[in-house]
Amino acid sequence: MNTKVKRGWTRWLIVLAVFAMVAAACSSSDDSGSTETTAAAAATETTAASSGGDAGDVATQDLIPVKLQLQWFTQAQFAGYFAALDQGYYALAGLDVEILEGGVDIVPATVLDSGAADFAISWVPRGLVPREEGLNITNIAQVFQRSATLQVSFADSGITKAEDLAGKTVGNWGFGNEFELLAGMRSVGLDPDADVTLVQQQFDMLALISGDIDAAQAMTYNEYAQVLETVNPDTGELFQPEDLAVIDWNDVGTAMLQDAIWADADKLDSDEEYKSIAVKFVEASLRGWAFCRDEFDACVDIVLAAGPTLGESHQAWQLNEINNLIWPSPQGVGSMDSDLWNQTVEVAVSEGILAEEPTDGAYRTDIVILAQANLAVRGIDFQGMDWTPKTIELLEGGE
Amino acid sequence: MIRKAIRAAGPALVIGVGGIALWEISFAIIQPDGFVLPAPSEILAAFTENIDEIWVATKNTGYIAITGLIAGVILGVLWALLVSRYRTANETLTPLAIALNAIPIIALAPIFNAWFGLLSPVSNQSIVIILVFFPVFINTTKGLTAVKPAELELMRSYAAPPREVARKVRIPNAMPYFFTALKIASSLAVIGAIVAEYFGGRQDALGPLIVQNAGLTRYADAWAAVLAGSLLGIVLYLLSGIFERASMPWEHAAETAGS
Repeated sequence: MNTKVKRGWTRWLIVLAVFAMVAAACSSSDDSGSTETTAAAAATETTAASSGGDAGDVATQDLIPVKLQLQWFTQAQFAGYFAALDQGYYALAGLDVEILEGGVDIVPATVLDSGAADFAISWVPRGLVPREEGLNITNIAQVFQRSATLQVSFADSGITKAEDLAGKTVGNWGFGNEFELLAGMRSVGLDPDADVTLVQQQFDMLALISGDIDAAQAMTYNEYAQVLETVNPDTGELFQPEDLAVIDWNDVGTAMLQDAIWADADKLDSDEEYKSIAVKFVEASLRGWAFCRDEFDACVDIVLAAGPTLGESHQAWQLNEINNLIWPSPQGVGSMDSDLWNQTVEVAVSEGILAEEPTDGAYRTDIVILAQANLAVRGIDFQGMDWTPKTIELLEGGE
Repeated sequence: MIRKAIRAAGPALVIGVGGIALWEISFAIIQPDGFVLPAPSEILAAFTENIDEIWVATKNTGYIAITGLIAGVILGVLWALLVSRYRTANETLTPLAIALNAIPIIALAPIFNAWFGLLSPVSNQSIVIILVFFPVFINTTKGLTAVKPAELELMRSYAAPPREVARKVRIPNAMPYFFTALKIASSLAVIGAIVAEYFGGRQDALGPLIVQNAGLTRYADAWAAVLAGSLLGIVLYLLSGIFERASMPWEHAAETAGS
């Protein structure tokens, strides 16, 4: 009788021990920058952003650790930050920056507010909505001056302006990326719920190419190029720009501001050190963007070294288009264009994205002004008035 | 009769209402930065505020869940009947069922979208069917085959053809197993429908509603949509229970006799 009880216990102990080992093995420290593989066809491989090449011979123990949360996967959209890391601008400023890759389910505002990152890159509406929900974050540098959102369709569909979307299947990504589209449709009298069929689009152009949707959401610097990197089954050649028709929300007047550097507003007011770190971080980042403007090929190589999903020709196209969103910047890169800010807020409020106009402190200019002053002292050109776009040749699959 | 109903439902109500009250009160006291988990009152407020949107989304998701559930159940039962009757079917279909069940949805959903079209309900219904059919198949097969040998011998002694054996012995034996599986399947159907929606398709459905609101840190709205999904699952579960009660009146009599 005694031995039977003992055996029963041993069996359960072994089961528990195995369970504990499996549980321990399975629970990995949840890095806020870790991403999950998504179903997005083009970008299923996620790699942790490598910290770039030589940061110079600066002793790393003196550097202050800083984390930057990107809004999306590693690509030329964030070239300036990778360049700043690679060229040692952050190290020179006394910062040891770790770049956290973004993804589909990663919300930069949440990561920033929780303290898992010190700064975050986020589109303005995607920063304003959480701010209204109670996350006290603020825009400290408006890096992209223009919106890059397009609604793309095939030329033979005849969708050249917003009115043409009536009665069509219109793809969009949701997640706060669709506001310009919705506002654009309403501005020409269309009701997004009744006059079009809105479709949840994956972060690729397969639905457009396969004919599932009539018009797809695309960024000038990414998905648009993905179409041009695909072979047209009818011709056997890559799709050409002439095959596509685009609606640019900048022209329609419902464009909203996009990539900006966001910081924790409470900390900025209470922590002097954080504020001075913010100035240094912005300064080094803007310097990185200036580098990517002046040293195009080197910058593309830096991005490629950081491990993006798509290849060289795609990243080159992307960097060129990103430069087009930043330069020339008469007020200086990172400055807030108050007309565009007002337009962004107006669209947000009229669309019901925001319940009311953002309270004061949604963006601040003091930090970027200090950063630009420092750049001026160093003789860095932060306006890029002489910049001109290049012509990039795309290869199949973005190689 | 009323007292019996109260005694039956009483403990559950106390725990349910008590739990929610505890949640609400502790949040009022602690006031956490808990925008990830809002207080029940906030969720309810968001639910009533967005009721139109949520109702449309629930209808769309519910349609997929219910049609997929019915199709998956029929498929599972037919599969089980075949497998219990013919040995070759057992050897071929059972491994196939296991293999199909093992394929992760994340892999299947985009494939179905490509095959059937992003906007076609068939792509989402197929996900639900795949999720639902396996528990139904396995449980029903068990029920059809785990028959007391004595009963089979009795039917043999009557020279009963397989059809009669099925009708008189196997199927009644399988019914409790089937309804257990149906209850499991009804929740799986809702989960399957919502998850399938993550991979593209119409945006006026519960899946996109939850995910989009969470992505914009509108957690009260996201939880309101989650609540709608739970209610949908509960309704399907209750319907399964009613169906069970109607089909097996003798079971219920036996259960209540014990208490």
